[in-house]
Amino acid sequence: MNTRVILSIIFISFGSIAAILPRQKTSSVRLDADELLREIKLETYKVTTDELADLLINLDPTLLLIDVRDSLQYSEYHLPGAINIPLKELLDEKWLPYLDQISKKNIFYSNGTTLSSEAWIITRQLGFKNNYVLEGGLNNWFNTIIRPTHPGTGATSEELDTFDRRKAASMYFTGSSAATDQISAPALPPVPRKQKKRVQGGCS
Amino acid sequence: MPDKQADTYINSKMKEKLRKPKKYMNPYAAGVLLGMVLLASFYLTGRGLGASGATRSLVIGGVTAVAPDHADNSLYFSKYLGDSQMKSWLVLEIAGVIIGGFLSGAWAGRLKFKVEHSPKITPKRRILFASLGGLLFGFGSQLGRGCTSGAALTGMSVLSLAGFVTMMSIFGTAFALAYFFRKNWI
Amino acid sequence: MGPFVPLHNISNELNLLIAFVIGLGFGIALEQAGFSSSRKLAGMFYGYDTTVLKVFFTAAITAMLGLIFLNFVGLIDLDIVYVNEYYVTSAILGGVIMGAGFIIGGFCPGTSFTAAAIGKIDAMWFILGSIVGILLFGETYRYWQEIYMSGYKGAVKISDILGIRDGYFALLLILVATLMFWVAELAEKKFKRDDITKEI
Repeated sequence: MNTRVILSIIFISFGSIAAILPRQKTSSVRLDADELLREIKLETYKVTTDELADLLINLDPTLLLIDVRDSLQYSEYHLPGAINIPLKELLDEKWLPYLDQISKKNIFYSNGTTLSSEAWIITRQLGFKNNYVLEGGLNNWFNTIIRPTHPGTGATSEELDTFDRRKAASMYFTGSSAATDQISAPALPPVPRKQKKRVQGGCS
Repeated sequence: MPDKQADTYINSKMKEKLRKPKKYMNPYAAGVLLGMVLLASFYLTGRGLGASGATRSLVIGGVTAVAPDHADNSLYFSKYLGDSQMKSWLVLEIAGVIIGGFLSGAWAGRLKFKVEHSPKITPKRRILFASLGGLLFGFGSQLGRGCTSGAALTGMSVLSLAGFVTMMSIFGTAFALAYFFRKNWI
Repeated sequence: MGPFVPLHNISNELNLLIAFVIGLGFGIALEQAGFSSSRKLAGMFYGYDTTVLKVFFTAAITAMLGLIFLNFVGLIDLDIVYVNEYYVTSAILGGVIMGAGFIIGGFCPGTSFTAAAIGKIDAMWFILGSIVGILLFGETYRYWQEIYMSGYKGAVKISDILGIRDGYFALLLILVATLMFWVAELAEKKFKRDDITKEI
């Protein structure tokens, strides 16, 4: 059998296999376990309730709160301006522009930290950036911002400062305008993450 | 044949065999080899092969050396002035091509200075047409943003439409004009 | 995960070394195929030597299949791999001019370097000619600029245009190529020119 015949057979066989392969999106930006663990240890992905309070009070336009609990809990109460992406819907196509982008700071929150951390790990592993987790979740939010406890008599001036700020925040958030305002999700999806840069090549 | 003559005869036959150039590689095998090189290029650097870009870099290098202001002011060449990375990649690649070709030719016994031409035309005519062909190809490769290696071969492997269109234009035109230049070749 | 250089911040020196080594492979493959002979290359257009077709398609298909399979097993990110940008007029007009250059000169830039490397003087003149051609283009650029930049369509892939998978198109191309291999074989028999074939 001459080369031509052998080659054609090989090509056609491989070609047939290639033809039925699904359109695979190989992402070079995914994180492996080591990288993920490193980021978890750094804890830079966590946002404290104080930090969130500041962002909200300053009406920071880059902030987007994402409530990852189910829609029922969301409708009962959600943080001002938050949108609802229930964890089980996290990887739906329609949420991708919100999660994989570079212009907004997304802060996942849930009642505690379980669901929000899960959301963060999944999106971070996919290589998405600018996603954070609210430390302690709504429970912590209530205990520190909405109903802050006085640090007690042996407190440092720092702790007293924090307490004062929290009290002010509490008034801001529980004021008549804020409490009942169920703001709906922002209309426009954020700017999508910049396309991976193609290599320059060829003769030009 | 007497012994001495037989020896000389055998010796000269052996010498002839050693001097004779080796046959070309099976085209399909050579194609697979070339395809592997191309694939390696993609895997390692994300880009394919290229040749006309290297010649362009040489031209720009020359222009810059002789008249640096002109290169800056030139609409076309100034685009590539800052592109030192790209420029060097192709130039080094072509250096490899030259050395690789030389090594292969040396191994196969095909090294020889000559003007390759059809016996029906003179070497001078061949050189004239070679230069003219080069001129057209140089010009065309800039306009066409690539040559057969960069646009056609590389382009086809990544399924780029530009690659296919360029390839078809090149080969289509060559076939169409073949009749008019047949005297030079056959 | 490939491609290596863009994704792993490879040093420039290493990148250039890679370029050189790839060039070596390129040159060896071209010379071994016989592409350092203009009469062999031109044979494609007169039927007596269809090596160009065989090598070209085999190489493109090998690389194409390689990319598809590497992508499938997650070893290469095809979004980063270079895809030629499509400028309609450039591609067609440039191709026509190059086609003329091919049949007149009997070389293309890559093969001209390989041929010059083994001593072909006509190839060296071809290279000189291409240097002049490039200079000419650069100097007269302002006349061509509009044509050069027109019809930009982006880095379009054929599979996207036809709406089919990459692998599916590869199979189609393979079938076409196989047919062409057979036609080439027949052509070589029909347009046989032993007198030339023996010399090149």
